[in-house]
Amino acid sequence: MAEMVLEAAAADRTEQIPRRTAAIVPERSVAGRTLVLLIAIMTFLSGVTLGAVVLVQKSAIAWSTDVGREVTIQIRPVEGEVMDSNIRTAIALAEAVPGVSEAHALSLADSQKLLEPWLGAGLDLSQLDIPRLVVVELSDPKNVDLNLLSKDLTSVRGATLETHAAWRQQLNTMAGTLVLSGVLVLALIVLATVLAVVFATRGTMATNREIVDVLHFIGASNTFIAGEFQGRFLSLGFRGGLVGGLAAIAFFFLVAGAAGSLVPDQASAELGFLFGRFSLGLDGIAGIAAVVPVIAALTAITSRFTVRRFLSQTSGI
Amino acid sequence: MIEFTNVGLRYGNGPEILRDLTFGIEPGSFHFLTGPSGSGKTSLLRLLLLSLKPSSGRLTMFGRNVSALDQDSLLEMRRHIGIVFQEFRLLDHLTTFENVALPLRVLGQPESMYRDNVTELLEWVGLGNRMDAHPPLLSGGEKQRAAIARAVIGRPDILLADEPTGNVDPELSLRLVRLFAELNKLGTTIILATHELPLLDAFDFPRMALKDGLVTLDG
Repeated sequence: MAEMVLEAAAADRTEQIPRRTAAIVPERSVAGRTLVLLIAIMTFLSGVTLGAVVLVQKSAIAWSTDVGREVTIQIRPVEGEVMDSNIRTAIALAEAVPGVSEAHALSLADSQKLLEPWLGAGLDLSQLDIPRLVVVELSDPKNVDLNLLSKDLTSVRGATLETHAAWRQQLNTMAGTLVLSGVLVLALIVLATVLAVVFATRGTMATNREIVDVLHFIGASNTFIAGEFQGRFLSLGFRGGLVGGLAAIAFFFLVAGAAGSLVPDQASAELGFLFGRFSLGLDGIAGIAAVVPVIAALTAITSRFTVRRFLSQTSGI
Repeated sequence: MIEFTNVGLRYGNGPEILRDLTFGIEPGSFHFLTGPSGSGKTSLLRLLLLSLKPSSGRLTMFGRNVSALDQDSLLEMRRHIGIVFQEFRLLDHLTTFENVALPLRVLGQPESMYRDNVTELLEWVGLGNRMDAHPPLLSGGEKQRAAIARAVIGRPDILLADEPTGNVDPELSLRLVRLFAELNKLGTTIILATHELPLLDAFDFPRMALKDGLVTLDG
């Protein structure tokens, strides 16, 4: 029929100009800016949470590794025993164990420094019988036989070996809890994003009901209609995700910069010890960058399922 | 082409809007569908557009019982049916060209494939110089011609029109019905719902009159 119509068409045809075909679902009709802002905030929160998890995990590994490279021998004063002699014996026993690189005693001044936070400065420890500490550096923490060392130390009265195992376990538990909490927060953010997109999609479908109806009666399948809405939401999700992801990365750079410049040197060094100077590293940045396509895809997939569900509930056929 | 056999239609548990309809429509025919407001004209057209299924009886289109078809088959069948509404139902954010091309676009055709056809059809309906205009800038007559062009661009076998002249002046109404008549001459089966007596009298096409849910064929 149309071929005959075309035959009947006027002979003077207008010059063909390439057209830019407009989107079937108009961008402005999708609660655009609000949704982009919402997705940006969600991505920012996801990015910050992910970054925090990476920081905690990195710091925990660094702490654990540092602490694992060292054990301490504590020598309590025992009546009748000469402390300096016991210290020398303990050092000799420690250095004889394979995997130990070096052992040295903390001087009274060092011990005084360690006790300063509790006992205050200016205390003369030479008048007190306090335990002395021998720091044992491990060159091979995995293979060193600490049981042998512990056994050898029984020959030194008042000497005990502190491997920091309980502390390390607590540290690992704490880091694991923080990581798990971070993952839980991430899951909740994802859930909140999905719910927000579901509501936004349903709102968009309601306001674009006319477009959906027109597409239906000209023979568009539900798959086609869902695809049109999905494309629009993918674009919104990607834009929002990009803004949020960049903001999260910028946040960590700013915090790292602020921690380095605003905090006094000593405090900065302690913060650096605790948090690794807030340095995310390339893997952390890559992780946050990966959140962007994930959020965009999540937005698109959620909208597609929502549209399909909406259409199956409202479609006349 | 279309066979109604004791077809009834009701919405939910409401009263029957259409009752015991039994009639047939031959390919290439032109029928006016008349009746007072609320007589069920739009419901009958929705049955023919496959956006509703009969509550009772049997509706056969293109040799197939529509009640027994799955969604994909209904969708495929719907692509053989064009529809024109009184309120045009063009998408305001698309140009006239894009509105008319929409049925081909949803089939996945690239613009390079349909550009010439759409352009020529728009020229045929007198909108060659309004291709890039958006619907809010078109007159009522132009909108309706664009809607008709959109309805026929996919080469439908059946063209349904629901009060297509309701929003245009009497002179333009006559011109629009002549356009439908031209399309009918080219082989399209046309069912045009209207309650405008001057139009019915101006053309010698058979009438299906709906009243109290029942249909009578005249001519």
